[in-house]
Amino acid sequence: MSGIKVMIVDDSSFSRTLIAETLRLGGCEVVGEAESLDSLLETYNNCKPDIVTMDIVMPGADGFECSRALLLNDPSTKIILVSSMKDEETEAEAKRIGIAGYVQKPVNDESLINVIKSVMSPDALYEQLIDLGLETFKEALSQNITRMTKAHVTFADMDTFETKHVSQGITTVIGIIGRHTGSMIMDLSAETADNMVEVLLRRPSKNQEEVLAMVAELANIVAGAACSMLNKMDKAYSLRVSPPSVFCSSDSEITSPNLKMQAFYAQTTFGRIYLGIGFKKGLTLWI
Amino acid sequence: MDINLIDPLIVSFTEILPQLGFQSVEKRDISLIGTTLEYDGVLVHISLVGMLKGAILIGMSLDSAKYFASKMMMGMTVAEFDPMAQSAISEMANMICANACTQYSKAEIIGLDISPPLLLMGSNIQATLPVPQTFQIHFSVDSIDINVYVGLLQANN
Repeated sequence: MSGIKVMIVDDSSFSRTLIAETLRLGGCEVVGEAESLDSLLETYNNCKPDIVTMDIVMPGADGFECSRALLLNDPSTKIILVSSMKDEETEAEAKRIGIAGYVQKPVNDESLINVIKSVMSPDALYEQLIDLGLETFKEALSQNITRMTKAHVTFADMDTFETKHVSQGITTVIGIIGRHTGSMIMDLSAETADNMVEVLLRRPSKNQEEVLAMVAELANIVAGAACSMLNKMDKAYSLRVSPPSVFCSSDSEITSPNLKMQAFYAQTTFGRIYLGIGFKKGLTLWI
Repeated sequence: MDINLIDPLIVSFTEILPQLGFQSVEKRDISLIGTTLEYDGVLVHISLVGMLKGAILIGMSLDSAKYFASKMMMGMTVAEFDPMAQSAISEMANMICANACTQYSKAEIIGLDISPPLLLMGSNIQATLPVPQTFQIHFSVDSIDINVYVGLLQANN
């Protein structure tokens, strides 16, 4: 624990003193304090903490607004809410914003230090998800294309894409929620999609609507199957998928700021199918 | 789609953008469109899962996106819609949708979660959302035109 730099955001000087004392006893270094939004960013940028503890109820901007400002300033900021408020919706909002942990006031020394340790430690479940995710989505795509069309699928790995992917024509986006939120992108050309429809329906497609419906359904099946497989490996993932959105454009660029995507190409007799998958680390521990 | 489902998003838009430094957030008009829309410029896509399911798109022209990002970055010049500008626009969309979920919870629509934002950029993008009907809300934010497309349905499970 020694050497972890912490900044405290709380409007109460008494609370700041209590939290600072707890942190010092736990071996952390308190490098900055702010009592409101006014001095928040300047203090953060000056002291560059590893962790920020954040009160929720403060006059003026509350802890959520201050957290948004910090995350906008630096998306890698690790924030732990320290507040007397603790209800389902407050926790849900904190998770959606991207807050890493939550400790209820009055602060139990051990709880705060344990949450800080967890936030600073590698998240084993997340690392496992990143390790297993790509292969699982490959398996789901391969199994379902073969099941639906009897076609054989081979794969070509790609580098992670941190900048952009240029669409081949039809892009399907599916959101994933659960312990870690993420996204799946499936991208293929209109010709590849047409070829698949012809095999599936045993006739050429009647119109674009029919083609897009097939692409959306395939993406839905692949994402659902892959997330089910991952949930079976560890039910703590609790992954669920959104319905698919489909985008058609010959040259649009797709980017995922703040979300590293792993990707591969599936080679099929119909043509090439791109699949990208990415997960956010998200919350760590809530006490 | 129930028109009442767009109110929380409008509240979120008008609450969050002033926190990001914008002075004026005006709702110009609302229209009901089908499942498909065409777009030139930048679209941010966020999925929503829970008691409601579907997607929210936030769209603006490329020039508007650069101007918007510049304002979010304290007036820093944004000549290109580079990764930093893309990150700013994505973060804005994430904040709006996250806060909208909080607004939904006030209307007893609880337990919603959102996916990370994805950005699509290009011309003649044809977007098909997973709902029969989509609401388009046109906002003017410090004279920047922004369109929000809300395609949500009550989930059965």
